[in-house]
Amino acid sequence: MDTVYLLDLFKKLLGGLPLTLNLAVFALLGGFAIALLLNLLRTTRIGNAVAGTYIFFFRGTPLLVQLFMIYFGLAQFEFVRSSFLWPLLREPYWCGLIALMLNDAAYTAEILRGGLRAVPRGAQEAARVSGMSRLQILRRVTLPIAVRQALPAYSNEIISMLKSTALVSMISLMDVTGIAREAVAETWRAVEIFLCAGLIYLVLSLIITRATSWAERALSPWQFGARQ
Amino acid sequence: MTNNLPAVSVKGLHKSFGSHEVLKGIDLAAHDGDVISLIGASGSGKSTLLRCIPMLEIPNSGSISVGEAHITPRDGKLSRADERTARAIRRDLGFVFQNFNLWPHRTVLQNVVEAPMIVQRRNKAECRDEAMALLEKVGLSDKADAWPNQLSGGQQQRVAIARALAQKPRALLFDEPTSALDPELVGEVLKVMRDLADEGRTMIIVTHEMGFAREVSSRTIFLHQGLVEEDGTPEQVFGNAHSERCRAFLSGYFDRA
Ligand SMILES: Nc1ncnc2c1ncn2[C@@H]1O[C@H](COP(=O)(O)OP(=O)(O)O)[C@@H](O)[C@H]1O
Ligand SMILES: [Mg+2]
Repeated sequence: MDTVYLLDLFKKLLGGLPLTLNLAVFALLGGFAIALLLNLLRTTRIGNAVAGTYIFFFRGTPLLVQLFMIYFGLAQFEFVRSSFLWPLLREPYWCGLIALMLNDAAYTAEILRGGLRAVPRGAQEAARVSGMSRLQILRRVTLPIAVRQALPAYSNEIISMLKSTALVSMISLMDVTGIAREAVAETWRAVEIFLCAGLIYLVLSLIITRATSWAERALSPWQFGARQ
Repeated sequence: MTNNLPAVSVKGLHKSFGSHEVLKGIDLAAHDGDVISLIGASGSGKSTLLRCIPMLEIPNSGSISVGEAHITPRDGKLSRADERTARAIRRDLGFVFQNFNLWPHRTVLQNVVEAPMIVQRRNKAECRDEAMALLEKVGLSDKADAWPNQLSGGQQQRVAIARALAQKPRALLFDEPTSALDPELVGEVLKVMRDLADEGRTMIIVTHEMGFAREVSSRTIFLHQGLVEEDGTPEQVFGNAHSERCRAFLSGYFDRA
């Protein structure tokens, strides 16, 4: 193998890292906010149906299809092209981010719901009977327990989102995968190039795994046999 | 004991779940220093009655007072003002559950200081000192920094009692506090409760520990299908109950023992 070529290639691929991270971070942040909203919706009957339908569609169809629908599909509608959103919706970046965000929201909503359901009723009752207000119960008991319960599943979602950002290379964005594809088209050295790209994702996943398991331990020491 | 307002008073309490009427008009008053044991067959409504006092269940009709605070819910609903009164009532009562219900994400000490600090907004250092004293009292000062799931059931229940005491409650309510415990752990919890009774605390205790009820309580109430069927001193209820059903219920217990 040609080390000079490989080093050069790495440098080139790392040029796509800011975009990859940008998409992952903002999709996760936006997705989490929408997921909270979806869980709030779930407290009313109609809202529950709306949230359920949303989640059904976004979990039941491929992310790539959602991405194409937003990027290619929306442009077919005259009212979209004439709307104030068009400057955003014709940008591949925004289409990619929106698709990732909406998709992440569906999964995160379910993860959060699982966490909320795992909060022991008795712990909430004990809070109520001590005289806490609804808001205090939510803040001091329900959410802290729910978030800790949801963390392991959520760390999977973070990794999954990171990898999903690779799909935006299909709508001409130059993230790590986008740059890799371009390099392959030029040089045909597919094995080296995709191995290098894969390695970058692997290192990121490792960092995320480490960080989230550290967070799990820090937040829930009692689940790890912490000693007094 | 005195002719002051009772610590806890329940009047004409009715509670239904759907069409199933569980409480059919209950009157009960606990004066300061009373230790009332509530006994009765499973399903007779003991827990429901106890849970209605801090409005964990909203009664369909009747009224509840704790000290000066007074609530008369209508149609099983609380008005906004009632909701505020209910919170005041809850602050004034300590409730001990069958399943302890400690907060799993807080240490033993944090469980005990939570209500005084967050609900009563009292000084942090003072709450801490008081909490440590309470843990000492229930024999768990060495477990202050342990997590609830590192403790035995008996220890968890003693923490739950310390947590209830930290609210400086007017009265303590216990819902079968030893029923979820292994037999060898029952004694340590009953001992703590006995000490509290000796201190003159006001307590209402739902229990199946008939020996304990007989020795410790100042009054025993036998509930049958949502009504008070027998109400008297333990000597009278355990020795010479008017009600045939009460006698049958108790002989079931003491034959087994
Ligand atoms: N949340 C509830 N929903 C419906 N029925 C209930 C509920 N809580 C209690 N019940 C019913 O009320 C009756 C009395 O229950 P409970 O007060 O728990 O009795 P006890 O504590 O004396 O065993 C039982 O028939 C029980 O099934
Ligand atoms: Mg019960």
